[in-house]
Amino acid sequence: MRVGYLITGPQREMRNDNLYPLILKIILLSGMSAVALWAMIILIGMEEYWLVGALAAGVLCINFVFLNRRAYPFRYILPGLIFFVAMVIFPLVYTVRIAFTNFGTGHFLTKRRAIEVLEGRYYRPQDPVRYTFQAFQNEAGALRVILTTIDGDSFISDAEQLIAVDLSQVRFIDDNNDGLIDRFDGYRRLTRMEIFRNLAALERLRLSKDEYIVKMTSPAEFTRFHQRFRYDPIEEVMIDLKTGTIYRPQYGIFTSAAGERLTPGFKADIGWRHFREILHNPAISRPFFRVFYWTFLFAGLSVVTTFALGLFLALTFNDPLLGGKKFYRSILIIPWAIPGFISVLIWAGLFNTEVGIINQLIGHRIPWFQDPFLARTALILVNLWLGFPFMMTISLGALQSIPHELHEAAYVDGASPWQRFHSITFPLLMVSLAPLLVGSFAFNFNNFALVFLLTGGGPHIPGMPGAAGATDILISYTYKLAFGGGGWGIQYGLASAVSIIIALIIGTISLINFKLSGTFKEVTIDV
Amino acid sequence: MKKFITLLLSFILLVGITGTVGASVPGVLTIWADGTRAQILEPIAAEFAAAYGIQVIVHEIGFGELKPKFLIAAPAGEGPDILIGAHDWVGELTAAGLLAQIHLKPEEKELLSPVGINAFSWGGELFGFPYIMEAVALFYNRALVPVPPTTFEELITIARKLTDPEVGKYGFLWDAANFYFTFPFLSASGGYVFGVDEYGALNPRDIGLANEGAIRGGELILRLVKERIIFPGVDYGVMAGLFTAGRAAMIINGPWFISDVRAAGIDYGIAKLPTIDNNVMRPFVGVHGFMINSLSRNIVIANYFLRTYVFTKEIQLQIWRADPRIPTFLPAFLSPEVQADPDVKAIGLSAADGIPMPNIPEMGAVWAVMGAALGHIITTELSPAEALTAAVEAIKGLIRY
Repeated sequence: MRVGYLITGPQREMRNDNLYPLILKIILLSGMSAVALWAMIILIGMEEYWLVGALAAGVLCINFVFLNRRAYPFRYILPGLIFFVAMVIFPLVYTVRIAFTNFGTGHFLTKRRAIEVLEGRYYRPQDPVRYTFQAFQNEAGALRVILTTIDGDSFISDAEQLIAVDLSQVRFIDDNNDGLIDRFDGYRRLTRMEIFRNLAALERLRLSKDEYIVKMTSPAEFTRFHQRFRYDPIEEVMIDLKTGTIYRPQYGIFTSAAGERLTPGFKADIGWRHFREILHNPAISRPFFRVFYWTFLFAGLSVVTTFALGLFLALTFNDPLLGGKKFYRSILIIPWAIPGFISVLIWAGLFNTEVGIINQLIGHRIPWFQDPFLARTALILVNLWLGFPFMMTISLGALQSIPHELHEAAYVDGASPWQRFHSITFPLLMVSLAPLLVGSFAFNFNNFALVFLLTGGGPHIPGMPGAAGATDILISYTYKLAFGGGGWGIQYGLASAVSIIIALIIGTISLINFKLSGTFKEVTIDV
Repeated sequence: MKKFITLLLSFILLVGITGTVGASVPGVLTIWADGTRAQILEPIAAEFAAAYGIQVIVHEIGFGELKPKFLIAAPAGEGPDILIGAHDWVGELTAAGLLAQIHLKPEEKELLSPVGINAFSWGGELFGFPYIMEAVALFYNRALVPVPPTTFEELITIARKLTDPEVGKYGFLWDAANFYFTFPFLSASGGYVFGVDEYGALNPRDIGLANEGAIRGGELILRLVKERIIFPGVDYGVMAGLFTAGRAAMIINGPWFISDVRAAGIDYGIAKLPTIDNNVMRPFVGVHGFMINSLSRNIVIANYFLRTYVFTKEIQLQIWRADPRIPTFLPAFLSPEVQADPDVKAIGLSAADGIPMPNIPEMGAVWAVMGAALGHIITTELSPAEALTAAVEAIKGLIRY
């Protein structure tokens, strides 16, 4: 029927289809558009114009696809596309964008916000002028204050200005002659309790007079402040009004000629700086290449060991002579069934040099996590435990798909068991398993949780600058660099730059993956 | 229709993420605190609200989450008015422009411990109200060690007698590869993390972790390894487990461990760390305090709440009763009730010798690198001088970036 209406056109559909779905569709679409519009307004307030644009484009697309009949087929791929953009394209673009900025500790604010923070910074002179105050409110709720210095000089607020005033004028009325003004010009004095209720509004008052401002410093007093910094938008410099020093923006931070820096800094584009640092700063680059090498070794060894054990067990279970297969298989699946986080932590305890059960059984204090080679061995062993059930399962599945006749034919031809495995089973297995093995390699390449929980990347290699350890892989090293003591708090920019490099490596591996699976397909034709 | 609903839900989710919980609202005080602190503050906040007509909302956030969340939320105007946290956040938060300066009157300043004030100062200005402090001290099992040692030589003599790893007995242990716990060894003879410049601010270019004093501390650790008193592979968990099992006689730990020891039923005592060659061991002092968000719209109210309400003897004692840590508010600390607690007294003495943990962000580079260097000393891969010198070079390299 769907195909039919596409051919016969809109009129036909109007008659055939019920009107209610259409109404519901319009209600839902307008509801969604309204929510999106609301979100856009919030996002505009947060100055996230990229997100606003993306949201607007998304909503327009959805509305178009659901309202235009010609776009009907797109209804099936649109949700997928939207998620693809939101979950894959956007993070990708965002990461690349961040990699070229200094976003991180000290550079969280936008430039405008950083200027606001600095311009909003006041200093009080050594011996500040303090004022007691009375707050007044009129019927409309407007607030005014009368400030009095210790010398008895009085000032009244008028909008944002502070004006000297003579309180003996007739408009100031003291009803009970207690020396305090009770009302003037329709304004009535607030009691202490009412002042508390209006603290938030009073606190926002910035009363300027001459070159200073006066603001509230406690519920009992106002204090005179001087502005500390002023931004010159033409010269793009920050001027320290107290000392006269000029600060110029440099890598996202206002810096004086003498090298003094004004915090907070702001998010700024710094070009290829992170990539240059990764290559040239020995504190980062020397460990980086070492870690790079171990990451490949770790991922490679993990795949080889888990696959070898998994395949061996699968072949064993595939033997029709073995009894109790179901029992063994269930037992061997257990490592896979326990959440990795828990089993890795348990393994860390088992391997403990001093109290671990492994050393107690062996009867020697083997420094599992203190010696680089042993720590790497422990890592590979634990990964073997975690990884072989997966390899066993996929191998079992793949073994089922190999036609039994091939084995029989080889048997009749007099092939030995090894020859049968080597020439028939293994090549046929690889057809379906090779892409999974490459996938497993890519997974282990980024196996952060295992490294982080088991060894924390340690032990440190003597003489290696920085915090990189013998078992650190790229992703755990990136984490250390960016979040765990890389030098300066949290560095999203640097982390993004390293992630891009990792992504390029993984991308290359995937490319090889596609090539490899193609090659193996030809093998099947040969057989 | 399912698709519509899915799409709608995903948009609601998107909006939900950008929306917020626990943000500063004019006229209402919002506080972010970890679980322990939030529970203590709830009734205090309620009393303040009743007395002054200002609503106080306490949001409970995990301690580890507090700083990262604040760093993200506050610049977007979504932060709380008051953040309760550790003093070593001050550098990072101030560098991000997120903490309001606090101007204490001289008479207010006198009521707070100088160590606390020092800890919350940054560039000579104050950015938080310190309320408790903590430092590590010597925990000992009274059943094994009736009288705690006062010098390190005494400690070694006692430990040697009590150590027999073959039967799982240990005389003296601590998380030696953890710089936080091992710093007192390096500081005793003059090691320091960062020097102080002429304005009293910490100078990240002056690192004193490989000077003569620090290396002497390293040599002492090496001696403990060679005498087979401490062993590589003993980390915090192992140490804590052995002590609560009654299998470790003396350990270095902090006040957070007291409740665990009590729960384990160990007859314990806490003593000041012993002296090394007549020099006192100076542990890191951690101070917790109340910080005010610089972008808050309730700075005056927050100040008022803290000055005239929270920082009074009565409320500070109330906090102490709920969570016995060392108060930095002196009238509370000096009250007979607090002074009668032997644990607080011992840890207070330890903290009195202590050095506030550096609050500048450069400290981030120190932890991991020093942990690695201590690891090399303990495994005897490198001599203390080699390990510490290399570590200082590494820290300098990281700070430069």
